[in-house]
Amino acid sequence: MLLRVENVSKLFGGLKAVDDVSLSIEKGEIVGLIGPNGAGKTTLMNLIGGSHKATSGSIFLDEVETTGLRPNKICRLGISRTFQIPRPFPDLTALANVGVGVLCGKSRPHMSYSEAMLDASHYLEFVGLFGKRNTLAKDLTLFEMRSLELARALATTPKLIMIDEVMAGLNPGEASRAIGLVRRMIEEYHVTILWIEHIMKVIMETTDRVIVLQYGQKIASGPPREVINDPKIIEAYLGEEIA
Amino acid sequence: MRFEHRRGRLVFHLGKLKLEYTIEPRYWRNPWIGVAFLILLPLLFWNKPDYMSLISSANVYAAIAIPLAWQMTGIGRMNFGPQFFVGIGGFSAALLSIHLGWGPWQTLGVVVLFSLVFGLLLSPLTTIAKGLYFSLITLILPLMFLEVTFVFTKMFQGETGLSGIAPLFRFDNIRIEQIVACYFSLGLMLLFLLIVDQTLRSRIGLFAAAINDEEDVAEVCGLNINFWKMLCFTITSVMIGIVGWFVAHHDGVFAGITYLPLTFMVKILLVVIIGGRGELYGAVVGAYFVAILEKVLTIFGAVNYILFPLILLIMLFTLREGLYGLYRQHKYREYYPTMKVRKR
Repeated sequence: MLLRVENVSKLFGGLKAVDDVSLSIEKGEIVGLIGPNGAGKTTLMNLIGGSHKATSGSIFLDEVETTGLRPNKICRLGISRTFQIPRPFPDLTALANVGVGVLCGKSRPHMSYSEAMLDASHYLEFVGLFGKRNTLAKDLTLFEMRSLELARALATTPKLIMIDEVMAGLNPGEASRAIGLVRRMIEEYHVTILWIEHIMKVIMETTDRVIVLQYGQKIASGPPREVINDPKIIEAYLGEEIA
Repeated sequence: MRFEHRRGRLVFHLGKLKLEYTIEPRYWRNPWIGVAFLILLPLLFWNKPDYMSLISSANVYAAIAIPLAWQMTGIGRMNFGPQFFVGIGGFSAALLSIHLGWGPWQTLGVVVLFSLVFGLLLSPLTTIAKGLYFSLITLILPLMFLEVTFVFTKMFQGETGLSGIAPLFRFDNIRIEQIVACYFSLGLMLLFLLIVDQTLRSRIGLFAAAINDEEDVAEVCGLNINFWKMLCFTITSVMIGIVGWFVAHHDGVFAGITYLPLTFMVKILLVVIIGGRGELYGAVVGAYFVAILEKVLTIFGAVNYILFPLILLIMLFTLREGLYGLYRQHKYREYYPTMKVRKR
């Protein structure tokens, strides 16, 4: 088992953003994390990645407890992520953005700066951004920024990548390219994916398993086809039937 | 240990460690032209003591602004009180020289040590205080130090300052002494420029730029931001402390009232802003501009004190990228980000 989350809760003042959630992810799995807006999906991701500290509960990666560790240590243990609203280093070039991931993600004390940049070029080529390596990240399009985030996440050589709504704001053509990119990431780098997504078609086609959150609680988990026909899930997404 | 020449780079292998030095002409041509100009400048004015002291002042301003440019990028925050470390360096050197009779090279080690200790003690501020809070704290620090120099007048000679500090060099000819001191200030500034320039071209520069841009994201990417911010603050504080040491031994007098108040901070801020925030070479341009402006404004007498901040304000609004920014508009090559005040 790669990731194990045990009874994790997060309180923001009086609000329980994540309420006693437990889940596990096996190596090589693609797990979808779905739920209506405000269900606590991103908060859960922040807890796993160390950006927030859990109020209670424990998180383990490869049986190593990561609860309470700082994000940089968790990243070095093998968890990487992308953001719902892309957050590249705007004033750095695309190459330098990925270079940060290469140099910081995994301890490589003997890797020189130019070797790191060479490695970063490889990841940029993988996501199709090699031609824009010298472009400042702030000058990239939304799709390119999302690709850059994926390249940066890959560059840290993670075991688990958490993808937060990579499809948001993309047109259908870009969305299908993004799906293809994630699929290739899994095939070539054998990473495990935890994927937050609102577009159900993507979840249905891509994931092995789906976890559903509502009001911070886990309400369902299982194969996408089963979960999507669960009346509880339909209610959570569409509300109760009137009359 | 062995050397290797790769495309545009010299690589030094020290065991498993690899150190690289970029030798591409496009990287060093313009800086070398600038350096040659700065070396020739004192020779042009060797018989004009006023201009020699102006050049020395400009070098001192630049020597403070260069590490400050690295610091502000590397910690992602605006430091409004770099002169605190000028005070630490200056007073340490002065007290040791006057009371123990130490020469400049003896006091240097202690100055480095004191600056290191104070830098380390204050460095956690870079992780605790964010944005404007950090700026406010650093603004207050030198003012508190100034108060201390007044409270403990016997020790620091508040108003008049400490005098009788051993000079850096002793020559029979005052003109030669002035030229040597001028070149020493230039050497110190160029040494800082070289150190910071090479540092910022390395992985440390990349980490600094990442912290400056998005420190939370940098941490998520695996960067130990607290370590790098504290390290950056401490090293640059030591560098600024060394400038204080130079000033004390160069002038023979060191007064808190000269270097610790807001007026001196405004000058350094003006150097940074005119040069272009976060720009190393811009800091040199800004320093010479400010030193010349200071000289020119003396003809206005007391109005000088109002004109200085006024010019700062005008430049803030009209030249957001500083004077160096004008050059970069034509030769656009953005290696490192410009500084911004972090609000989160």
